[in-house]
Order: sequence, then structure tokens, then C-alpha cells
Amino acid sequence: MSITNVVIRKRVTRLFLFVGMILVLLIGRLAWIQFVRGEELRIKAEANRMDDIPVPAPRGTIYDRNGVELVVSISSDSVCAFPPEVKKGAPQKTARELARILGMPYEAVLKKISKPSNFEYIQRKVDPEKIKEIKQLDLAGIDVVEEKQRTYPKRRLASHVLGFVGMDNIGLDGLELKLNRELAGIPGRIITEKDATGREIPQALHEHEPPVPGNSVWLTIDEAIQYFSERELDNIVAQYKPKSAVIIVMDPKNGEILAMGSRPDYDPAQYNESPAENRRNLATQLNYEPGSTFKIVTTAAALEEGVVTPESRFYDPGFALVGGHKIKCWRYPRAHGAQSFVEAVENSCNPVFVKIGLDLAKERFYKYIRAFGFGQKTGLSLTGEALGIVIPEKEVTPINLATISIGQSISVTPVQLITAISAVANDGVLMKPKIVKTIKDYKGSIVKEDTPEPVRKVISKSTARQLAGILEKVVSNGTGNNAYLEGYRIAGKTGTAQKAGKGGYIQGRYVTSFAGFAPADDPQVAILVLIDEPQGGTYFGGLIAAPIFKNLAKDVLRYLNVTPQLNADEIKNRTEKAEVLVPDVVNTSLEDAQRIMAEAGLETKFEGEGSWVVNQQPKGGAKFPAGTRVIIYLGTQGRGVPSGQEVTMPDLTGMTMREAGQLLGRLGLQLNPEGTGMAVQQKTAPGIKVKSGSTITVIFSPPVPEPSP
Amino acid sequence: MIERRQLKNFDFTLLVTTLLIIIFGLIILSSATHATMTRGDDQFAYVKKQAMSFLLGLIAIGVILKIDYNAFVKYSKFIYVINIALLTSVMFIGSTHKGAQSWIPIGTFSLQPSEFAKIFMVITFAVYLANREGKLDRFRDLFPTFIFFGIPMGLIMLQPDLGTTLVFIGIYFGMLFVAGARPRNVLILILIGAIIIGGVLTAQISFGLDFPLKQYQLDRLTIFWDPYKDSRGTGYHVIQSLISLGSGGLWGKGLYQGTQTRLNFLPEQKNDFIFSVVGEEFGFAGALALLILFYIFVFRGIRIAMRSKDMLGTLLATGIVSMIVFHLLVNIGMAAGIMPITGIPLPFFSYGGSSMLANLIGVGILLNVYVRRQVLTF
Repeated sequence: MSITNVVIRKRVTRLFLFVGMILVLLIGRLAWIQFVRGEELRIKAEANRMDDIPVPAPRGTIYDRNGVELVVSISSDSVCAFPPEVKKGAPQKTARELARILGMPYEAVLKKISKPSNFEYIQRKVDPEKIKEIKQLDLAGIDVVEEKQRTYPKRRLASHVLGFVGMDNIGLDGLELKLNRELAGIPGRIITEKDATGREIPQALHEHEPPVPGNSVWLTIDEAIQYFSERELDNIVAQYKPKSAVIIVMDPKNGEILAMGSRPDYDPAQYNESPAENRRNLATQLNYEPGSTFKIVTTAAALEEGVVTPESRFYDPGFALVGGHKIKCWRYPRAHGAQSFVEAVENSCNPVFVKIGLDLAKERFYKYIRAFGFGQKTGLSLTGEALGIVIPEKEVTPINLATISIGQSISVTPVQLITAISAVANDGVLMKPKIVKTIKDYKGSIVKEDTPEPVRKVISKSTARQLAGILEKVVSNGTGNNAYLEGYRIAGKTGTAQKAGKGGYIQGRYVTSFAGFAPADDPQVAILVLIDEPQGGTYFGGLIAAPIFKNLAKDVLRYLNVTPQLNADEIKNRTEKAEVLVPDVVNTSLEDAQRIMAEAGLETKFEGEGSWVVNQQPKGGAKFPAGTRVIIYLGTQGRGVPSGQEVTMPDLTGMTMREAGQLLGRLGLQLNPEGTGMAVQQKTAPGIKVKSGSTITVIFSPPVPEPSP
Repeated sequence: MIERRQLKNFDFTLLVTTLLIIIFGLIILSSATHATMTRGDDQFAYVKKQAMSFLLGLIAIGVILKIDYNAFVKYSKFIYVINIALLTSVMFIGSTHKGAQSWIPIGTFSLQPSEFAKIFMVITFAVYLANREGKLDRFRDLFPTFIFFGIPMGLIMLQPDLGTTLVFIGIYFGMLFVAGARPRNVLILILIGAIIIGGVLTAQISFGLDFPLKQYQLDRLTIFWDPYKDSRGTGYHVIQSLISLGSGGLWGKGLYQGTQTRLNFLPEQKNDFIFSVVGEEFGFAGALALLILFYIFVFRGIRIAMRSKDMLGTLLATGIVSMIVFHLLVNIGMAAGIMPITGIPLPFFSYGGSSMLANLIGVGILLNVYVRRQVLTF
């Protein structure tokens, strides 16, 4: 028995081992299914039971650097139905009510809400009033879903930078495209649970999984500076009807772009209505020959390499001969003659630059061209940035080198140029241009922060300061004089490049520009103004772009609270201007008025036609510094509106002080202005009859942009 | 009669393990039946019926413990006849359910003779083999055992109940092996069987016959290889079962939280695929826990087989353990997509009175053998 017992035990043990193997096999299989294939099967389980309707996430807002909204998403509501839930209520009644409120045919609504699906849109983008009514009715299985629409409170402002989105709220251009992933957010879902037979589930109604809103983007753009730039762009368009125009304002110390705009532009809310050409962001995509503004680069290289000193002497015969080609100075045949290097820069004298360009020679010159970032993308986070065109170093000929010295035979983008100029302003350190400052999630915590990035030291600090000093002289004494702004030390350079076309440069087609920074000793802003093919005769940068630069710089510097520093000359000018009493010249002849004003030490400006003074601004008796310009309104003696006659009050809002004064003057009314800028309010309402000779008080206010739409 | 002395020899571990499995089973059953209920129904109707079967089973254990298992020798022939009679009668008076004629209606209940047939087979085969101890050495000695076993098994195949047939095969080889048949001979037998079955199936597939298996049975047998071949038809069960198990992950979705179960994607969730409910709602952890409980059960069963005072006890315990193990293998293997869909219950888990009662009778037999083991204390 005992032996048998041992044998049996052995057999049973074997059986047990076999059984153990079976159990291990099962456990192994389970682990495979539940861990290795777990994720895949979990997704399948979800797909099994869920009917999913995506709910788009609200797109993030784009702000300027101070939190002014540039692009926002506004809600629009859609009415939707969950047919299984509708069925439990009273479908006919529901359909009737919805048809009435939404103005849809009853049958159409009934058909939609009784479809054999889990979710149907009934109507999209419904008026808030109707939504309110529908919500109040609280119909079974009827719900309201919020959808988002992109709007631009500042309309066209910075449209090229911001870009636009398509119908499905996906960015198609500009930052909307570049930062689409940041802005888009994560779509939510409306989930309806179904069972194996597709039946509704009594205990589980539809779930609304809210979307995660997109991140908001804070730009380096300053809405006010952008506004000033856009205004100047509009001025350029109005005055010169150019092919295109670009303005960029940069903070040279950190490479932050404060404003970037171009013309032609478009309305991002209705991007389809403008040609694609208008939607190009020329500030980053335009390849143009910079002309004399590029002499800044030539000068920087020459000073740094010791090829010239500010005191080096040159003689300009009016042209330079390079390899048999005659490169003329801009004011050929009138030569500049003997001059120092500083004077040559002031005069923007081509032959001098040709000489120093050739003296620098290929290797050294190209080193600086590359170091300043030409021929490469700046890395600005905008799509479609152009490279510019730099002749490959291997292929460059002396004549190329000579023309590159004066900014021809080389193409740059506006953003490359402003970045290079900023490097000069920033003690020789080239900063990577930035347009995005911070990205925050919808809760307001910072997701990404774009901090200033120095790219490389291009020239030494002393060379940079020296160059700034020379460029300041260009403005105070030289070709850039029209950019001169009292109280501010402006450094800059004009540029006028003949445009290349088929078979050489084309007569009469120019790119004219002004690039500079201010204040020269402690640069706060660098500005580039570029006008492509201005119409109307003048084309020199000094005549067209410089005044625009000046207007813009004035507003920007004041806005940035840069304290004006008067130089010695300016202080002398100021103190000499003693206050004088403005004489009353109304009802005198034009000649008398001009004489009287001149004797009083005041300037005059005449408005209107005729030879008889009907009004003046400021009025007689007021005290003003000598040299102040008095506006004298002319009319016909006795033919003006006689005093005491009734006239109808016009609407003055939106007029400048001058326009308002002119109009009132013609009606025999006196203007009593309060404030400055545009007329925003008038004390006598339009349409009211007033006696001529009365004084009308009009309130003026500067056209500064308001932070709200 | 149980004496106080014998009570000391009672295998409490086995009973407690069984009770834990059953309680776990009732919890899972409540979830599995939850889904098919409509509001207003008694949410626990199935659980209550199952609990009734369980109580009935406990009484059965009590009754069995009072009888010395050696008394089976006396009734063996009678039991064998009863078994054949029940299995035959089910073919005439049985009600058909899901293609198989396996149920005999008794009042509001219906009896499933094939469940009890396994127990009867274990008892009768154990007696049969015990009598032939030491006379199973030759290969031809196995033929009588094959006929003895084959008659009831053939009747089950005719129902047709393939799952139970597989369990029968498991019981047959398990008991034969322990009874002393040479492993070589057992292997040859298995091989012959496999060749015959393989040959028949190959013939059926290649000739497109509807015999010996019905087409749907053949499909069910082969679909587990590639359930996506017919994902909305035959493969649906396997796919949904795999999704249920897989989506449970490590800890599962929680009781009543299994979406596959709750939303009725998982078919036959209170019967054949109840294991998938465990996997979905309690994850790998829950499934492993259940397998460990079964492992303890099987371990105790084997231990009983070893400590039995005689060959009959050893064979009885071996038979019961083989039955449980093959149930596990076939049922869980099916849920996990590695066995054909044959539709047999998970012991102590699947809803069904006959199954519960039969398995508890099995537990009763195990306890019986243990209580009456040879205790060499005097």
C-alpha cells in the first residue's frame, strides 16, 4: 500500500504541475490583454458606447504688450437637439415652439429632432434673444451649444501680423497660423452614451465635456505705437499713392517689435474680400534693395575694421569708376568735392562708399553683411519670412561689391534692416527680433515666455557709439535733416534705391526709405519707414520718408515718455522767443495783416481765398512766443456773411481745428477751441440756427486710440 | 456518520475558499444582471435565485458528508444508469436553448442534466477505475474505460454540448492518469483522438459538409483565431469579451461601472462571459485574485487526492479537480480569446442552478474524502 501510495502521490503531483501550468497560461494571457492591449481595447470600449460630438474650444485672445485685445473670440449660440431625449418629451410641441422662435418650417424642425441619431444641430449662430426664449422653455432634449467666432476689435490694425482664421477657426495666416497650436485649445465633446442596441440609456443623459480654451498670446506690439504707425502709413498712401509701404518700430535693446505694418492691407474679418497680394506681410516678406540705408552697414564694417576714421579725407569727383563702370553719385554731375568721412556720410556720397567698400574687400565686407543678419531669416515667429538676396561670396565681382556698398545689388527684408540698425543702436549687439512676448494658458499662468536673445556682437561698443554719432549728424546736418525733431537726438540714414527690372535699373521707380533710432545716446526705438514706388515727382528718402519718420518718432517718443533734451542751439532759440502780444488784424487787408504780424515778430499762415482778413487764430490780445504762426482767414471785404444774419450750425465733429475754423469763418462764426486734436463735441448742436458773429465753443481731443473697440 | 474526531479533519480552507469564490460570484452576478434589468424589476432577482441554489448546494454538501464515499461503490451502477437515462431523456423532453437541447423543465426550474452528468461520471468512473487498479498497464486495457466513459460523453456530444464534452475529456484523462495508466498510452490515446477529430473537422471544412458539426458550431470553434473575420456575427462575442477584459486595465472600472457590462455590449455576461465582467470591473487585480482563489481550491483538492485513504478517494478528488480545472481553462480561455466558444459556465460564478448545485456536490465529495482520510494517529 505504501509503495502504491508513493506512486499515486507522484502522479497527482504531476497532475498538479500540469494544472499550475494551465493557470499560469491563463494569467499570462490576461496580463497580455489587460496591459499590452489595454489601451487599444480601452479606446474600443469608449468607441463602443459613446456618440461623440466635438465642441470647438474658444480660441485664445491675442493681446498687445499692455493687454489691449487685438483679436478675440466671441460666442455665438447654436440650438441643437438630442433626438432620443426629445422623444421622451412632446416632439410635436417642441417642434412647434422651435419653428416659431427660429422662424423655420415646422416639418423641417420635426424631421431634425426625430432623426435616429444622438445629436443634431437645428440652427447655428442664433440671436441671443431667441436663445433666451428657447432656454426659458426648457424643452426636453433641446440644448444650446456655444460656438466661437473670431473678431478683431481694432479692425485692420496690425492685420498682417495677426493674420486670420478660416471658417473652421483654424489659423491661415500670420500669428493665427504660426501660433495655431497655442491658440486653438482642446475641443470639448458632447457625449451621448448608448447601449449595445443603440437604445437611449435612462440613467445616463448626455454629458457636456467642456473644451479647454486656447492659450492667449501677448505680443511685443504696442497698440498705441502700432496705431501711430498705421496712421503714418495711411498718410503715405494718401500723399504718395505708392505701390506699397512698410513701417517697423523696434525696441533696439531687446529686439522687441513695437509696431509692424504695411500697405496695402486688408480686413482680417473679411479677408476674402481683398486680393491675396494685400495680405502679404511685406515687413518680413518684401525683398528690396535698401539703397543708402545700407551705408550704415558699410560704415560699421569700415569703422570696425579701421578702413576709415571719421576724420579720413575724401574727394568726390561726382562718380566712381569700378572696372570700367561709372557709378554716379546721387546728385551727379554736381560733385561733393573734398570732404571728411563724416561729411561723406552726411552727404550720402556714393563714390566715397564705393571706395571704402572696395577697401574693405570681399571677405571683410561679407563677414559684416552676414554678421548683421543679411541673407538669413531673422527667426521672427511669423510665417513666410523672406531671406533677402545676397550674391554668393564666391561669385561677387568688384562692381557688385562697389554697388553693395551703396545698398544696391543686395536685397534685404525690412525686418532684417531694422534688426541690423537696432544692433548699431544696441552698442553693436544684434538681437533676435521678437513679436511674441508671453503665452499664457486660459487660467492666466505663463506657458511660454520669449526673453530677449542676443544673437552676436557685430561691432564693438565704441564703433557703435561712433557710428551713432555720425548718423546723428546725418539728421542734424545732412541728407536726413527732414527727420530732425526738436528736443530729440535722432540718428538715421535716408535711402533711395532705384528699382531693378528687366535689363537693369528702371528710371523713375524707386524704393525710398529712412532708417534710424532715437535718442542717439540712449536709443529707445529704432524705426524703419519704407515707401515702394512713391508717385508724384519727389522720390528722395530725405524728402519723403524722413518727414514720416519724424512724425512717427515724435509721437512714439512722447508716448514712451522719453524726456526731450534740448541741445544748446535749441535752448538758445527757445529763450530768444520772448512772448509777444498778438495784434488783432481782423478786418484789415491781407498786406496790412502780414506786415503787422511781421512787425510783432509772428509768422503768418493764410487760409481761404480773398484779400480781406475775416478772422484770425489766435485772437488779438493773446500772448504767444515770438515766431508763433498765426492763422489768418481770408475772405472778401463786406462780402462775408454779415454780422447778425442767421446761419445753420454745421456738424464739426471729426474736423481738425483748422478745418473747423475755416468752415465757421466762412459762416461768419468765431471758433473758440478747447483742447487739441479732432473736434469731438460742439457746444451748439448741428442744425441749430445761430447768428453770425457768434462764438462757437468746440471741444477737441487728440485722436489717440482707445483701448476698447 | 461524522464523528467529532472527523470534524477535526474537516478541510475548512477548501470550504472558506469556495464560499469566497461564491460571494465574489454573487457580487459579479449582481453587476452582470443589472444591465438587462428594466426599471421596476427586482434588481437582485438573479442574485437571489443564485443564492437559493447556493443554499441548496450547502444542504447537499451536508447530506453528502453524512454518507461515506465508499457507499458509492454500491450505487455506482445505479448512478451510471440514471446518468444515461437523464442524458437520453433530455433529447426527447428537453427544451432547446441556444441551439443545444440540454434542459429538462421541472416546474419553474429547468434542470441541466449535463451539469450533473459530470459529477455522476466522476463517481462512476472513479469506482470503475478503482476496481481495476493495477490493471491499466497495457494499451488495450484502456479500451473498456473508453467505452465506459464514451457512452455518456457521446450523449452529451449529441445535445450538442461541446464545452461539457471538452470537460469530460479533461476528467477522463486526469482520472486515467492518476489511476495508473501509463503516460505513454494516455498520450497515444490523446493523439489518436486529436487525429480523428482533426481529420473529421478537416474533412468537413474541405468538403463543406454540415456534419458532424453544424456550420454555426464550426464557426464558433474557429472564430477565436481571428474574431475580426466576422466582427458583427460570430466574432462579436470574442471581440466584446476582449474589449471588456482589456479596458479594465489593472484595477478595473469599479463595480457596476463597467461600460461593456452595464451597456450590454458584453454578450452572455451572466453565463459564459461572466469572467469578462470581473476583468472589466475589477481589472487584472480582480481577475488575478479570482484565479488565486481557484488555485487555492485546486491545491486543496489535489492535497485531498494525495491524502485519501484509498484509491477511490484519490480518484474522486482527481475527477472533481479535473472538472473544475477544465471548466476554468475552457471558460476563461474562451473569454480571453484563446479557446473556442463552447459555452460552459465558470464554476460558482455563472448564473445557473444546476451548475452551482453540481459544483457544490463536487465540493461535498472532496470534503467527504478528506474527512475520511487515513489518519495514522492510533
